[in-house]
Amino acid sequence: MKLFAKKPGNGHAKAGARLCEILKNVPIFADLNNRELSSVVRILHEREYKPEEIIFREDEPGMGMYIIESGKVSIYVESGQMQLSVLGDGDFFGEVALLDDAPRSATAIAKTDCKVFGFFQPDLFGLMERDSKLGVKIVLQVARLIGERLRKANKQLLILNEELTKIKSGNK
Amino acid sequence: MITIQDVGNRRVLFLLLGFAILLVLFFLGGVAELLLIAALGAYLLDPLVTPLEAKGMSRTAAATIFMVTLLLIVFFTFYFLIPVIIHQIQEMQTSGASEQTSRAIAKLELLIREKLGFLGMQDFNLTEKIKQIQAYISGIMVDFLIKDSLSIIIHMVTIPFFIFLLLKDGRELKKHLIRLVPNRYFEFSMDLIYKMDQQLGNYLRGQFMDALVFGILTTIALWLLQVKYFLFIGVFAGIANLVPYVGPIAGVTPALIVSLMETGDVMKGIYIILTFALLKLSDDILIQPLVVAKSVDLHPMLVFLSILIGGHLFGILGMLIAVPFTGFLKVVFSESVETLRRYRFT
Repeated sequence: MKLFAKKPGNGHAKAGARLCEILKNVPIFADLNNRELSSVVRILHEREYKPEEIIFREDEPGMGMYIIESGKVSIYVESGQMQLSVLGDGDFFGEVALLDDAPRSATAIAKTDCKVFGFFQPDLFGLMERDSKLGVKIVLQVARLIGERLRKANKQLLILNEELTKIKSGNK
Repeated sequence: MITIQDVGNRRVLFLLLGFAILLVLFFLGGVAELLLIAALGAYLLDPLVTPLEAKGMSRTAAATIFMVTLLLIVFFTFYFLIPVIIHQIQEMQTSGASEQTSRAIAKLELLIREKLGFLGMQDFNLTEKIKQIQAYISGIMVDFLIKDSLSIIIHMVTIPFFIFLLLKDGRELKKHLIRLVPNRYFEFSMDLIYKMDQQLGNYLRGQFMDALVFGILTTIALWLLQVKYFLFIGVFAGIANLVPYVGPIAGVTPALIVSLMETGDVMKGIYIILTFALLKLSDDILIQPLVVAKSVDLHPMLVFLSILIGGHLFGILGMLIAVPFTGFLKVVFSESVETLRRYRFT
């Protein structure tokens, strides 16, 4: 069976190796070995955006996450006219769309010339079919990441609640 | 915000797209037919290659092993089946009607001569007419098997080769095609392709499974009823079942003709009709709901129109694949409209 075993990425070896290095710094892929990273690299979609070009829009269906190789991306809420963050090289965004089918909660716009890699839900499902162990590893990391954010959001909510209570009691 | 005018414009756009596809198919003819069959084959077979990949094989190795196994199975099936089918066709060409049938034909011939003599049918020869039809039908089959043998051989070599290439590199090909899509429509295309893939996969695999199960059941039923050429008619009935409304009639007719010509037993003919009715009923009630996606319901008018266009473009094969292909276009159209609604294109 070893004769037919999957080979690590060969053709575009250099680009693949560079991309593997970028992926290692993304928490979702941090636990993967080189063979697994090569499998992920094969299903990524490379995209290039000009400044002010929309990557995805709030309220539209979300298909997956993006990893920034180079450039700056602004994440903002159109409805509230509020910028949430500006992301740079090696950062990632939109990962919640890997798990749920809800519309995007924010808009992502390229602020400079950007090169990003898209990792999408249908490709993740396909990967789970072909290599369930690898699929579970990735999904588990996404779930952990979302759990961590939920804990942070809960803490912030608690702090805000306390401040609100103080303000209310001060007013009385 | 999508207005009624937008939806109308999109419908016009999709109608134009459908028309463009028809034009391309018309001008490419044989090549389009070859590519369509290969793409359909690769699409149907893809879920059988993926489990091999899940065992740790590379895509190339999985596709190679699968194709070699499939070709061996097809080769041995044909090795055993082709002589039987040729023998059955030859026999059909040479065999005459039974004594009982000949008597019935002679009676009918006399009746026509007597009653319709005033229409110039005094010399009407029904036996000769039946022989002519019989020779014509078997002639078509022989033509198909012998005259078209070169084209069959070319198809038998190129189609598996294309299927192999599509199985091996289909995923990469899809990725390269998506890369050509402008940024604004990128996620939309991913969404659309994924949804169409789910719907189409269910529909086409369902159609294939239905034809296979119906073909096997018909063959067994005809064998039990001791109808001659049961294997040939059973395979034909299975394929014809892909065509709604016309398919079941096209399936029962050869069985009925062969049985009546051979035995002249009207009761056996009734049994055959009842068996086909029962098989079709169980197909509608049991098999189809289990294997064919319900979402692809086609209007009878659309079915007939597609059969006519398919027949005009690619002959008998075109008529057989016309309905699944129309189902494919319907899924593409409805999913495109549905997905477009969810995006805010300006």
